[in-house]
Amino acid sequence: MLKLIQIEFLKLRRRKFVWMMMLSALIMPFLAFLLFKYAWTADGDPRQFYKWSAFGFTLWIILPVVLGILSTMLMYNENQYDMLKQLWIVPVSKMRYFFSKFFVVLIYAVCFMMVTFISSVMFSVLLEDIALDWGNVLFLMKKCLESGVIIAFVILPILAIATTQKGYILPVSITLVYALLGFIIMPINMYLSPVSSMAVIVARNGDIPGLVFTQAMNIPLAFLCILVWDMISVLLANIALGKRN
Amino acid sequence: MTNYIIETKQLTKLFGNQKAVNNVNLHVKKGRIYGLLGRNGAGKTTIMKMILGLTSITSGEVDVFGKNIKGREKQVYPRIGAIIETPGFYPNLTGTENLEIFAKLRGTPAPNAVKNALEVVGLPYKDKKLFSEYSLGMKQRLGIANAILHDPELLILDEPTNGLDPIGIAEVRDFIKNLSVERGKTVLISSHILSEISLLADDIGIIDHGVLLEESSMEELRRKNGNYILLHVSDVSKATLILERQFGLKDYSVHDDHMLRIYDTSLDMASVNKALMLDEVSVISSQLCNDTLEDYFRKITGGDGIA
Repeated sequence: MLKLIQIEFLKLRRRKFVWMMMLSALIMPFLAFLLFKYAWTADGDPRQFYKWSAFGFTLWIILPVVLGILSTMLMYNENQYDMLKQLWIVPVSKMRYFFSKFFVVLIYAVCFMMVTFISSVMFSVLLEDIALDWGNVLFLMKKCLESGVIIAFVILPILAIATTQKGYILPVSITLVYALLGFIIMPINMYLSPVSSMAVIVARNGDIPGLVFTQAMNIPLAFLCILVWDMISVLLANIALGKRN
Repeated sequence: MTNYIIETKQLTKLFGNQKAVNNVNLHVKKGRIYGLLGRNGAGKTTIMKMILGLTSITSGEVDVFGKNIKGREKQVYPRIGAIIETPGFYPNLTGTENLEIFAKLRGTPAPNAVKNALEVVGLPYKDKKLFSEYSLGMKQRLGIANAILHDPELLILDEPTNGLDPIGIAEVRDFIKNLSVERGKTVLISSHILSEISLLADDIGIIDHGVLLEESSMEELRRKNGNYILLHVSDVSKATLILERQFGLKDYSVHDDHMLRIYDTSLDMASVNKALMLDEVSVISSQLCNDTLEDYFRKITGGDGIA
């Protein structure tokens, strides 16, 4: 499996867009810096700043969309250029192939959140009213690592959809709908969408300021929601890859 | 123990109600080049895909290396190199990088495997040119290089010379021939071009509308379709008796009750006619015929289409 993951990264050589997408991790820390520098005040609480720089749009919109595009790109070449039959006769196991892509998404998500973490800390230092407090820095790092891992599982359905498609358009469009639907469904039922379930898991201790839930928190149910979606996704990917000869 | 590297038994494939492959019994012998000849859409690729386990078999069996392939694909694949349809590669990588990926996936032990494979097909090693910038011929060559990368015993090549220029075709033909003659590889190759198969193959299978119309060695096929004398007589059995006894002729075939083919064209026909007439066998006609392989294929496939 390690070899397959390494090969997946080799396949990304010269694909500048994949690495440029990583720069979008800087968007919210930079905007948060501007907001707190010129408009708002954190009143010395770094978590107020981190909420905007790392847990706001980055985690709920930017990263899901970036990972959706990445998932599509990972599947695109082999689907578009009819390469899968060449891989099957190597032989490469269909499920190992799928999970190697998943691990690339996972590693990318963790790296993305690490960039978010580092840039959040750096921009917070530049703000005069936020003191560098190691406790809060560790809190941010822990949350970023945690979110990076969970979001890879949340995005697995998009990776599965990308296995069924030869083009970019549908999986990317579904990514946008998928990310937004998480928000829309949240007030109705937090445990229907993996995106809203992720919010429950990340904010389980109530330590992200401003994140208020309308329903009772049920962590096992949130994990179950992601698990069910992921199991369906693996099944879908297995069927789709089986048909791609 | 059979000597066949590939053997199919009543192999059939249905797409909906349409029979793409119909009860095909294919026999590929060890160390030989088997040419599968047929028009586009005749079922060549489907047969190859079924042999490789890439598409399901509706009915029938495929034996590869003497055993049924079903469920044994993972053991068998490392012994096979294949190109099916147009080979695809990663467009953002060079030819060398693409092959390095496949070498890693296969766990190819030879350190120079990629370099050697590229040399065989005449592509440069460590070239900076990306696959997306390759010509169709270069893409095809890279596909062949990938097929031979792990030094397989059996090569399954689906129209490998597609898109190559005449010199490229000749080069590919030569190295496929060398792989078989010098290194004992077994090759199953498909094409819709008769001249290509006739120059390369040791054995041939002619397929049309999913049916294997003929399977024989090229030598046998050439013998059947070279120069011959077509003799139209009143009594074939009497005529053959005379030819055997008086002229010691053995190289002939009986076509029907009144026609026979004599493959020894050096025979003195004046003497033959005289001998037959003396024994009261009327000679209606005798003519020197020269059927080409192309004529033969046209005849058995019932039309045009094989160039």
